[in-house]
Amino acid sequence: MAAFIQFAIDTLSLGSLYALMALGLVIVYGILRLVNFAYGELIMVAGYTLFLLNGSPLPWLAMAAVAVLMAVLTGIATDYVAFRPVREKSVTAVLITSFAFSTLLQNAALLFISPRARLVPVPDIFSQSVHIGGVVTPLRNILTIVVALLLLAGFAVVMKRTVLGIALRAAASKFTMARMLGVPANLIITSAFAISGLLAGVVSLFWLGRIGSVVPGIGLEPLLVSFIATVIGGMRSLVGAVVGGFLLAAIVTGLNYTLPQNLLQFRDAFTFSLVILILLWRPEGLIRGPATGQRT
Amino acid sequence: MFDRKTLLTLVLLLVPVAVLVLGTELSGVRLLDRIATTLCINLILVVGLQVFMGNSGILSFAHIGFMGIGAYASAVLAMPVQMKGMALPDLYPVLKSVQLSPYLAMAAGTAIATLVAAVVSYPLMRLSDAAAVITSFALLVVLHTIMVNWSAVTNGPRTLFGVPRATDLYLAAGAAAAMIAVALFFKESRTGVLLRAVRDDEVAAGAIGAHVSVLRWRGFVLSAAMAGLAGGLWAHFITSFSPSAFYLKETFVILGMLVIGGAGTVSGAVFGAFAVTFAFEGLRASETIINAAQFLPTQIVGLTEIVLACAMIGILILRPRGLLGTAEIGAVIGASRGPAVTAQARQR
Amino acid sequence: MLEVRNLQVRYGAIRAVRDVSLTVRRGELVALLGANGAGKSSTLLAIAGALKPAAGTIRLEGEEVTALSPEQMVKRGIAMVPETRDVFPDLTVAENLQLGAFVRRRDRAEVDADRQALFDLFPILAERIDQPAGTLSGGEQQQLVIARAMMSRPKLLLLDEPSLGLAPAIVDKIFDMIVKLRATGVTILLVEQNAGKALRIADRAYVLSLGAIAAEGTADEIASASDLKAIYLGA
Repeated sequence: MAAFIQFAIDTLSLGSLYALMALGLVIVYGILRLVNFAYGELIMVAGYTLFLLNGSPLPWLAMAAVAVLMAVLTGIATDYVAFRPVREKSVTAVLITSFAFSTLLQNAALLFISPRARLVPVPDIFSQSVHIGGVVTPLRNILTIVVALLLLAGFAVVMKRTVLGIALRAAASKFTMARMLGVPANLIITSAFAISGLLAGVVSLFWLGRIGSVVPGIGLEPLLVSFIATVIGGMRSLVGAVVGGFLLAAIVTGLNYTLPQNLLQFRDAFTFSLVILILLWRPEGLIRGPATGQRT
Repeated sequence: MFDRKTLLTLVLLLVPVAVLVLGTELSGVRLLDRIATTLCINLILVVGLQVFMGNSGILSFAHIGFMGIGAYASAVLAMPVQMKGMALPDLYPVLKSVQLSPYLAMAAGTAIATLVAAVVSYPLMRLSDAAAVITSFALLVVLHTIMVNWSAVTNGPRTLFGVPRATDLYLAAGAAAAMIAVALFFKESRTGVLLRAVRDDEVAAGAIGAHVSVLRWRGFVLSAAMAGLAGGLWAHFITSFSPSAFYLKETFVILGMLVIGGAGTVSGAVFGAFAVTFAFEGLRASETIINAAQFLPTQIVGLTEIVLACAMIGILILRPRGLLGTAEIGAVIGASRGPAVTAQARQR
Repeated sequence: MLEVRNLQVRYGAIRAVRDVSLTVRRGELVALLGANGAGKSSTLLAIAGALKPAAGTIRLEGEEVTALSPEQMVKRGIAMVPETRDVFPDLTVAENLQLGAFVRRRDRAEVDADRQALFDLFPILAERIDQPAGTLSGGEQQQLVIARAMMSRPKLLLLDEPSLGLAPAIVDKIFDMIVKLRATGVTILLVEQNAGKALRIADRAYVLSLGAIAAEGTADEIASASDLKAIYLGA
């Protein structure tokens, strides 16, 4: 029983981060059909913001808010630098420009801050222990799950009940038609990037809280996670991204528990093999997205 | 098999390679030899990437991973038995006693890279464009993870040393020339033409019987084979390397070369490799001079990558098809008789 | 109200619209006829701002609107229903209509009143109000997109081939509704391949052939024109 609770907490807390991360990626993809390779760098930016604010008299919550804000602004900047100038040209062009922008950001951090790991302030309550059903776990894990649920619920409300949400869903379905009804294209796109940045920003607080430090390449793992969760969930579906995130977390946690010691270092290879199997069975992903009839 | 324009392209593309070899030999400068050999190996990589990316329209990030497979496979097979005892103490007994000639080892490395690509990529070829790109990225990371952790074979994240030297400028240039020909051949082959049809209009191509996944798979496997060959050549040139040589930075550089030259043509791939190499060496030299002269308060590291990134974004904004556009050199030069031909046609 | 002069629209090297000039006066129902590929849809898309003209001017109520974006055109009072219908299939009928009123979203009371009036005109939409738009039949979707366009209270309504893909009985119903709409005071520019039915409800008509105006006049004049068949068949 205790083992099951441990597994559940580990999977849910990890899955919360994965799901939020993937959601941020799909929001932009769903509307623009473009993959944002610089997405992982939003975590890097938040991390370095926290590092730079470290030692200031601000309470951690204020520093965290600034870090999230920086992630949102960088997300919007990605649109202006890497997407807007080449959006009309081709899908591949945008993939490459966002990849180039990602390299640019990482090398800027390398150049202007440091190639070495830098400490990030972590609030004390993250490391406090909590007892649940015979299992001891850091409070951070529980907070992750709670915050994620709140964010997901809030996101669902925005999508279903607000004009912005309806406009975003319409734009994801038929972009030009939405414009022909007067929905301002640029506002939609900026909103999508801003929401994407917000989600990544919140994820970064817990992600960095786990590791305690930031390096220029920290964005690679979350980017990869978002990619894989999105692909197995179904590239055009918001629900799919969330499902994919939790499923991926279940696979990773499961492998963590079951792989023998000497194979544990190859865990990512096993994860990927399982992902390939899922894709063999369902190439379009597990959840079907909105219907358009065009090739994704 | 080859029409006139393609033949002309092949000849025109071999000229800079020949000039490179001649120029380097005549100058006698060791440094140039290193740069030229690396350029030839990069040519193979860029042209190999073009084979898949240019014809299928799908971006693949996994390319350099297969270079790594070719490099490690060839290195382990060719390394002298005594060396293996020191460099790879945990190597499996079966492999410990094997020692092939470097040329055989390179061939075997290419074959192994091809085999892995063939098996792993088949399920991935049915994915939609965006999902395929994303998965190729994940594949790169997984290959890298395996290289870093399979210490028995690769010496883990540490440098693998003791690889016998066997690649010289002539071998690299000869291989590059051969691969350029292979790329052009593939482009004009039935598979290549059909693959481009799929790239341009998947539904219509399906209607004429093109089997999308199989076509993409063929392109991908050929591309990986070329990457594996480049890996073997490079391993026996540099003689010691680590997994970090087959990851994001190199992927970025090769992709940059292809994008700047133009992913749609073999000419673009060749041009891009030459252009970026020269620019890089120039930038690196400046970086060294600036750092040595203490011109700026801190040491500059990573400047070259930033410049390359900006160049890539710039090209994609201004000339999205790359500097060379969509026509092979042979087609452009051979078409200089164009207007007369069209006038004749109109008269009829 | 609408004045188009020497419009030219290109798709790369292809000139879909070579030289089109037309006028639509307030309150009129003008038909734009022609065979497939004559340039009718392209003309409409250029007026709506979805395509940028290569040459020519478009004036709405005296003001030049040639290069404006689709969003700006909606604010000026133009609403377009494209050939492809383009309902948002996963949004409900209510959400589709709500989006139609996007530019007026602050005038809640007026928007609600308009919606009610549209339900009187298109009762089937009230019935299916919470269903995803993708589950509606072709004829119902056509009603939805026309209603959705009307939600912005446009001065000028552009309709691109409303009869496309619909059974003749349904087409008659749709055309009845268009006549009723016209009675509410909105000006309509109607593109149609079904010349007969269009001419029965239109005041005036233009006939397009290979990207240029081949004939113009009142609906009766065009209906009785003997060379109409020749124009359509491209002799």
